[in-house]
Amino acid sequence: MSHHQVVLVRPWTDARGGTGCCGGEPSSGICLEHRVGGEHGPDADALAVAHAYRRLREQVDDVDVQIVGANNTVFLLPAVFRAARRRVGTLAALGSAVRATTAGAVLVDGSRVGDIAALGPDGVVAAVCRATGR
Amino acid sequence: MPAIVVAAVVGVLFWLGYRYYSVYLAERVYNLDPAYVTPAHRFTDGVDFVPTNKHVVFGHHFTSVAGAAPIVGPAIAVFWGWGPALAWIVLGTIFAAGVHDFGSLAVSVRHDAKSIGTLAKDVISTRARTLFLLIIFFLLTLVNAVFAVVIGNLFVSNPGAVIPIFVEIPLAIFIGQYIYRTRSAALVPSIVGVIGLYLLIWVGQQWPIDITPFADAIGVDNPRNVWVVILFAYTFFAARLPVWLLLQPRDYINSHQLFIALGIIGLGMLVGWNTIVAPIVNDVPAGSPAIFPFLFITIACGAISGFHSLVSSGTTAKQIDKETDGRYVGYMGAVGEGSLATGAVLAATAGVVATRGEWDGLYADFSTASAGGVGNFVGGVAAFANNLGIPLDLAAVFAAVVVISFAATTMDTGVRLQRYVVQEIAEIAGWHTLARNLTLAGIVAVVVPLAMALLPGGGDAGYTFGVLWQLFGTTNQLTAGLALSVVAVWVTQKGRNPISVIVPLVFLLVMTSWALIVNLKNFIEADQWVLAPLDAIIFVLAMWLIVEAALALRGSAGRRTPDVDRTGPTTDGVSVPSDQRE
Repeated sequence: MSHHQVVLVRPWTDARGGTGCCGGEPSSGICLEHRVGGEHGPDADALAVAHAYRRLREQVDDVDVQIVGANNTVFLLPAVFRAARRRVGTLAALGSAVRATTAGAVLVDGSRVGDIAALGPDGVVAAVCRATGR
Repeated sequence: MPAIVVAAVVGVLFWLGYRYYSVYLAERVYNLDPAYVTPAHRFTDGVDFVPTNKHVVFGHHFTSVAGAAPIVGPAIAVFWGWGPALAWIVLGTIFAAGVHDFGSLAVSVRHDAKSIGTLAKDVISTRARTLFLLIIFFLLTLVNAVFAVVIGNLFVSNPGAVIPIFVEIPLAIFIGQYIYRTRSAALVPSIVGVIGLYLLIWVGQQWPIDITPFADAIGVDNPRNVWVVILFAYTFFAARLPVWLLLQPRDYINSHQLFIALGIIGLGMLVGWNTIVAPIVNDVPAGSPAIFPFLFITIACGAISGFHSLVSSGTTAKQIDKETDGRYVGYMGAVGEGSLATGAVLAATAGVVATRGEWDGLYADFSTASAGGVGNFVGGVAAFANNLGIPLDLAAVFAAVVVISFAATTMDTGVRLQRYVVQEIAEIAGWHTLARNLTLAGIVAVVVPLAMALLPGGGDAGYTFGVLWQLFGTTNQLTAGLALSVVAVWVTQKGRNPISVIVPLVFLLVMTSWALIVNLKNFIEADQWVLAPLDAIIFVLAMWLIVEAALALRGSAGRRTPDVDRTGPTTDGVSVPSDQRE
C-alpha cells in the first residue's frame, strides 16, 4: 500500500477528454491502424509528463503516481481535498483543491510542489522526494 | 406515477445489475484476474499506456461515452409509451450494454489494448476489419447528419440559444488561452465561463436570432437547412484546430453544465413531484412504425451503443491498472448512460406537459414525435428547472443550450474522426491522394453527411427526422453487434459459456435486420431514392456481419484455446500459466 500519492496534472496542450456518445476521445484515432493523418504523435508537453512519470516509477518507491487531466475535477477536487484537509484544515484544503486543477502541476498528498515543465524529470523526482521526506 | 419514484426504481435495478450481474460476468464469463499484468503495466510509456486509478479512468471513460445521443432516442421512443421505452433502457443497459462495454474492455485488455477494429481482424477475420471500417463510416456520417438536424431544429425553435452557443466558441478559446498562458488553476476560469454562458442566455433571450427571413431571402424553404450548412462549414474548420484550443475548454464548460443539468433534473423532479402523464403503452395511430423492431433501433445509445466499444478498446484499455477494475469502469459506464436516457424519458413524459391531452398532441404521430422529441426533452427540463424558481422561458433556453453544446461537440469530434476513417479506407483501397490529404478527407467527411441532411426528402415535406435517426441507430447497433461478435468468439475460444454475450448479439442482429427490411420496403414504395440505397447498403453490411459472426463462432467452438493469452507475468513478476493458477 502506497503511503504517498503523487498526481501529475496533464499540461493544457496534452488535451484528453471525452465528447460524449458518439464522439468519444478526440485526440485518438479510436479505430485505426495506419494513422495516416500524421498529427497523432505526442507533443513536447506530453513527453515531459511521460519522462517525469517513468523517472518517478523507476526511482521512487512506495508512492502512488497518477496522471490526471486538469479537467477531471470529479477526481481531483475530492482526492486533493481529502489529502490536504488532514494536514492544513478545511479552508486551506479547499484552496489546495482549486489549485490542483492547474495544468502541468505536480501534486504530492494534495499539495502543489511545482510545475512539470519547469522542474523537468529530475526536478520532479527531487521535489517529490523532498515533499515525502526522503 | 411520480417521476422521482420511477427514477428511484430504475436506480435500484441498475444497482442490482452492477452488484450481481456484472460480478457474474467478471468471474464466470470474462474470468478477470487481479494478478494479470495489464497492457498499462506491460507497455507503460507515460503517454497512452499508464496504469491509472479506476476512478480517474472512469471519469475519462464516462465523459467519452455519455452525451446528447442518449437524450434524442428516448425522447422520440416514448411515442410507444414510457413503459416499453424504459423497459428497453433498463434491460438493455443491464443485459446488453453492460455486457458489451465491459466485454469490449476485457477482450482488449487481454489483447494488448488493441482497438475493436483490429481485434475484429485478429479474432474474426481480415474481412471483418474492412466491414468494421465501413460500418463506422456510415455511423459517423449519420451521427453528423442527425446532430446537425437536431441543432438546426433547436436553433429554429429556440432562437434565443443562437447567441450563447456561437459566443461560447470564442469564450472557450479565450478561457483556454488564459489557462494556458497564465498557468493558472483551470477550475475558476471554467466556472467563470459557465457564468458567462448563462449571462449570454439572458442576452440571447433579449435578442433572439431568427434566421427565417434570411432563409426566405435566399430562397430556402426550411430555415433549419441554413443552420445545417452553417454548422458543417463551422465543423470543417473547427476539426482542423488543435484539441486543446477549442474542444478542451468547451468540454470543460460542458462538464460543469452536465452536473448542473443533472442536478436541476433530479432536484426539480423531487421539488415539483411531477407525475408521468404519458400512457405506459401508447395506442399509436395506424400506419405508425411497429414497436418491434423500431423501438430497439430508435433507442440505441442509452440501451446499447456500439460506439462505446471504440472508447473501451481504443483508449480506456490502455489505462486499466488491475484487470478487475474493468468491471467498475466498463459496466458503470453503461449504467451512467442508461441513467441519462432514463432522465430523458422522464423529462419527455412527466416534465414537458401537465395533462394527458397535451401530451397526446405532442406525440400525435411518429412524424410529430420524431420532429419534436428533442424539443420535448428541452421543455421537460425547463419545467423541472421552473420547479426551482427559474423562469420558464429562460429555463427553456438553458436546456436548449445544454443539448446543443453537447451535440455540437459531438459533431466536432465526429468530423475529426471521420477524416481519419476516410483516410484509412482510402489507404486500404489504394486511393493514396485521398489517404494522404487531410483537407480532402475533411471535405469528404463534411460533404457526405451534409448531403444526407439536405438532399430532397431531408426537409419536413420529405422523410421524417425519425427515419434518419433510426438509420443512425441501426449502424450503431451493428457496431455493437460486431463488438459482441468479437467478445463472443473470444469467450467461446476460452471454453467459457458465451450465452450472456450471444443473447444480446442475436437480439440486436434480428432487430436491426428486421427494421432494415421493413424500412427498405417502405422507402421503395415511397420513392425515397436517397434512403432506399442507403438502407440497402447497411442491410448488406448487416448480412455480412451475420455471416462473419456465424462463421467465427462455428470455428471457435471447435478450436478452444483455454486462456493461452494469460501466461504473461503476474504483478509479482513471476510468469505462471493461467491454467496452473485456476
